[in-house]
Amino acid sequence: MKLIKIPEDKYYEYKIQAMFDCYKWDPQFCDNNTLSKHILILTKKENEEIIKLTKSLDKETRSAEEYLNKNIKIAKKLALPKKILEQIPNMQNYDKKQNIRLMRYDFHPSIDNQLVVTEVNSDCPGGFAESSLLPDLARKTIGMPELEYNSFGEKMVETINNKLNKKGTIMMVHCTCFSDDRQVMQYLGDRLEKEGYKIIYGAADHIQFKEKKAYCILENNQVNIDLIFRFTPLEWLIQMKPRRWDGYFNTLTLSCNHPISIYAQSKRFPLVWKDLEKAGIRMETWRKLLPETMEVKDLGLKKGFIYKPVYGRVGEKISIKEACKDDEYEKILQDVKKHPNQYLAQKRFQSKPLKSEDGKEYHICLGSYTIEGEHAGYYARMSLYPRIDSYAEDVPVLIEK
Amino acid sequence: MRGKEIYKIYAPNGAKWTDWVRPVLFVAIDTYNRKPIADWMERKAMFLKNYQQDTAIFVDLPGKESIELSIDLAYKGYRPIPIFNGTDEQPGSQATTDTYLIESCLINGSEKLKNIKLDNNANPAFLLDSYRTNRYRAKESIFDNSWDLYKQDIPSAEYFKQNGITKIIIVGDGIQRDLKKIFLKFQEKGIDIYLTDGYTFPQKVKLTKTIKERFEKEEI
Repeated sequence: MKLIKIPEDKYYEYKIQAMFDCYKWDPQFCDNNTLSKHILILTKKENEEIIKLTKSLDKETRSAEEYLNKNIKIAKKLALPKKILEQIPNMQNYDKKQNIRLMRYDFHPSIDNQLVVTEVNSDCPGGFAESSLLPDLARKTIGMPELEYNSFGEKMVETINNKLNKKGTIMMVHCTCFSDDRQVMQYLGDRLEKEGYKIIYGAADHIQFKEKKAYCILENNQVNIDLIFRFTPLEWLIQMKPRRWDGYFNTLTLSCNHPISIYAQSKRFPLVWKDLEKAGIRMETWRKLLPETMEVKDLGLKKGFIYKPVYGRVGEKISIKEACKDDEYEKILQDVKKHPNQYLAQKRFQSKPLKSEDGKEYHICLGSYTIEGEHAGYYARMSLYPRIDSYAEDVPVLIEK
Repeated sequence: MRGKEIYKIYAPNGAKWTDWVRPVLFVAIDTYNRKPIADWMERKAMFLKNYQQDTAIFVDLPGKESIELSIDLAYKGYRPIPIFNGTDEQPGSQATTDTYLIESCLINGSEKLKNIKLDNNANPAFLLDSYRTNRYRAKESIFDNSWDLYKQDIPSAEYFKQNGITKIIIVGDGIQRDLKKIFLKFQEKGIDIYLTDGYTFPQKVKLTKTIKERFEKEEI
């Protein structure tokens, strides 16, 4: 892996195009520019290795979640929210052929030249346009058309076409108050509209279910839905009042993702691996790539571990001291003490930063998507400190031939 | 003019504070083919005599008025920084917040702004829509495109101070809860907060937490 710098005199236009042509509507987070001035380059060999590992991880994860769905006793160890546990019986009609399964695995280079995987974004991974449009803009900007990339969007469109054959209505379910959610939906919605689908943007409670089939209740858009594309995380969905979300769990309407995604979304997922292995499910790729993970109460006096929230997103509340701002580190430790079950302890790995031309060192998180078990592109972010959180920069990924 | 060109007028290359200009509504200008409004009104920033080197402004009026007022602020030396962050509703549905009018007004504003010479280091006048937090839904079928301003949407208190800003004037009917949440912290970090209705001289305000807020769990 290496970083190539976008020439300073080209960056302003690059950023403008990223915002207007590549759906990058959130280029600033507090004092940080979140659109990198660099491009991440993978060698052909690195790309092939990551694809191989990603597919292997995905196979294990999908076998695991199907098993957990049928074995509530073991699933309970994931400390799923009570409202979701109650829905497991309703998910028994889950048929993987009736749904589209999308995940993203977070890879990090470590100082011993190994790849480490820290988690899977199993429920609602984002970054679609950054993975699909930004690489093309980047290679044009630096004048290197020979570099390749895997477009998430094109792979997703192909998968949806295989299921819906370019006909029907797709509802892009998201939190309508957040423009950074809408940018993810809008990219895919616009792309799918070109294929001939009717696209509706709405919130989770704009869908109601009749005879287990979804229909939209938005004014002048009251139609049956053929695909629910959900970007509202399940932990938020179940907070919706009045309660109208049960239908998501047993709907016959094609979903991406179906709520079965919750099993691997829980960071406690590694805690059930022994049970899975006893049942004959192989978790060897996960075991090889994920740092040792345990319950907070089992940590004892062991050193070199960090705390991670069970349902954390974008690096929030991870206790990497040098990455914490103000009194954040102390607050996390206090919170862990108060709510140990809401956190996990994970062995800290030493991230290997990449040196850029300007001498700065950046830590990398390379998200590798899968759609229906196949690799579907990359979404990478980088940071000056070893925690990839909301302050991190989006960096397009290109691959050498 | 396309949304991209209009955006560049508000956020020219090399001008300070422009990294915070939100592109969302500028993108929508193209998507929905917005046109300038006919009833643009010239407004005067009566509350401000002159440009103040240590002061930034947050205009929290209805979106159209914020943009109209920002032109006079630009004449006084402040750079308008639109930070509108709502999205358009699903076509055909009813919305809680009107983004169309703001999108159109941004076009009018850009036509005025391009003729005003602003210093690259000009202090910012951040533009908000005071209707942004209107999330009342009379019916469940209404599209909620309300939005809040979060601390990550603007520079940090430290950044303001490093750039010589120790005073923030809020122009509005009051200090809305999202602004209060952000500026309580700013105040703790030594930035003075002032409030004006847009006509009267800004008065210094001391923001305090309500009893309920004191017991709320602080975000990490």
